[in-house]
Amino acid sequence: MTTLLSIRNVEKHFGRVRAVNGVSLDIRENEFFALLGSSGSGKTTLLRMLAGFETLSAGQILLNGRDISNVAPNHRPVNLMFQSYALFPHMSVAQNIAYGLEMEKLPRAEIRARVDEILSTIQLSALAARKPEQLSGGQRQRVALARALVKRPQLLLLDEPLGALDKKLRSEMQLELKRIQHQFGITFVIVTHDQEEALVMADRIAILQHGELVQCAPPREVYEHPATRFAAEFIGVMNFIPVQRDGAKLTAADGSAIHAAIPEGLGADIVAAVRPERLRLDAENCDNRLSGRILATAYHGLDLQVHVAIPAMAKPMVCRVTADAAEARDFKADDILTLGWNSADTRLFAA
Amino acid sequence: MLQRRITERCRIVMQDRKSLVLVAPAFAWLTAFMVVPCLLILALAFFRRGIYGGIEYDITFENFAMVLDPLYARIFLKSAWIAGLAALIAAVLGYAAAYAIASMPRHRQPALLFFAILPFWSNYLVRTYAWIVLLNREGLIVGIARALGFSGEMPQMLYTEGAVVLGLVYNYLPFVILAAYAPLSRLNPEISEASRDLGAGRWTTFRRVILPITLPGVATGFVFVFVLSIGNFVTPALLGGGQFQMIGNLVYDQFLSANDWPFGSALSMVLIAVMLVLLTAQTFANERASTGRQSAEPADG
Repeated sequence: MTTLLSIRNVEKHFGRVRAVNGVSLDIRENEFFALLGSSGSGKTTLLRMLAGFETLSAGQILLNGRDISNVAPNHRPVNLMFQSYALFPHMSVAQNIAYGLEMEKLPRAEIRARVDEILSTIQLSALAARKPEQLSGGQRQRVALARALVKRPQLLLLDEPLGALDKKLRSEMQLELKRIQHQFGITFVIVTHDQEEALVMADRIAILQHGELVQCAPPREVYEHPATRFAAEFIGVMNFIPVQRDGAKLTAADGSAIHAAIPEGLGADIVAAVRPERLRLDAENCDNRLSGRILATAYHGLDLQVHVAIPAMAKPMVCRVTADAAEARDFKADDILTLGWNSADTRLFAA
Repeated sequence: MLQRRITERCRIVMQDRKSLVLVAPAFAWLTAFMVVPCLLILALAFFRRGIYGGIEYDITFENFAMVLDPLYARIFLKSAWIAGLAALIAAVLGYAAAYAIASMPRHRQPALLFFAILPFWSNYLVRTYAWIVLLNREGLIVGIARALGFSGEMPQMLYTEGAVVLGLVYNYLPFVILAAYAPLSRLNPEISEASRDLGAGRWTTFRRVILPITLPGVATGFVFVFVLSIGNFVTPALLGGGQFQMIGNLVYDQFLSANDWPFGSALSMVLIAVMLVLLTAQTFANERASTGRQSAEPADG
């Protein structure tokens, strides 16, 4: 696939604060790309730079090889779906959607045809004459999406597009957005702080922290092979086990040996990490084992999460037990439980 | 659905009772010092002027007929023209000022707004006299023009229609600034960004998005200035000179020099009627703009 958007060493300084600090990314054609980070990570600033609402302090943004760093927002073949949706309150749904096409000075008949077409795509034809105030949150969201999509941009930017929706609608819209992206064949760049949203929707995820790029990879790789301890902690749940290194030997705080492939460049202070769903109850078949007392259990319907306090470790380990396994065995507080996992599922980071 | 409607109704009634208690003192005050005097004036308008300036209590409509006399009707039209012109100029200037203030950084806006309103806290007469000092034949403006080397004949500035409009605009400008600032400062900045993002330039964004959304505020300001101006008698008297008459001056004269209270009352009633029609229309327009958005039930999606 060819590169559509090239972000090269982009920086944004607000006074002394570096909101975006030397970020480089290549986004491909037809890709669903997620910028993931907590608030203050610079993800929204980066998105606004792509839309043209923030100037660059340094670096370049290339679209199809053309430098668009200094192109005004109204002259970029890029559209942004705002977090607040920013619908025009004095215009009807149809007028809102037609606005961008009127700016292109298209013939009236074509504007009409394209507005009708997109209204039926988002299933809002019946509400074309309504004002935004007369719509529900989910409908407004779809109008905002249609207003940006109808322009057929090369790149569609979405700022927390599902942030204002309730949980159920949100998971429906995650799949809907993916479907629309596929149908229109437009590159989507989405900003989100919701790691689950990013995992579900994106082809690739860029994790940002303090304005810097931490990792850029497909969801599975980000989840299974986080680049840093921050990335490991930010995505999903992770158990961290502080270990002491002695050559190739790793020892946990309670004296248990930990087996894992040690990457190059790690020093003596290491933290081992393992996902809750990789912890197994048949510990005798695993090469890593830790025993402790059950602190508490948390029932999630889909699974049972068992919290186990390991001696000499500050934080308890979280083990995910599937529903059927949870039924087969009774997990009582204060019982001793041995958790096992394989060296292949162990990740190591600098402490 | 019906159940919900009924409970909603009950809630509104309960609220009404509570707010009735709260509104009662203001209501009593208005009745005693506003409604009753107005009714007295209204009654007066239907009586006849006595030969020596007294009042003869027989019902007549001739006072209202006299209002339509071309002599007085012309003063009405002239007042409306001057008030309209003042309101229009104030609306344009006030909106521009409010726009400039609203586009400043948030933390500076209260101070700027304060300075824009500051002259308003000084006495109306003092402010109007200040313009006499400025516009005078030997006043400050002429003085500055002379100092800059202008030696020709200076046009008459004081005691003109322009001076009256100027005085009204100056005095009532803060109303428009306040009225226009409210919607401008509430405007979500992402709305104008969305317009730019969709391909509109700055001017198109202003014309098609910002102005239509914030126009109700300007309209409120316009009606305020118009209503305050059309009945004004101080500014025309001071800046328009002795011969210049607006409807307010005419009323003033009927009560204080011509001693024709019934005719003065008829004039004020017509003036009040004009104001009421305008204010009511304005209120309805505002209401429609806001309830049109809220009352419709949002359909679930």
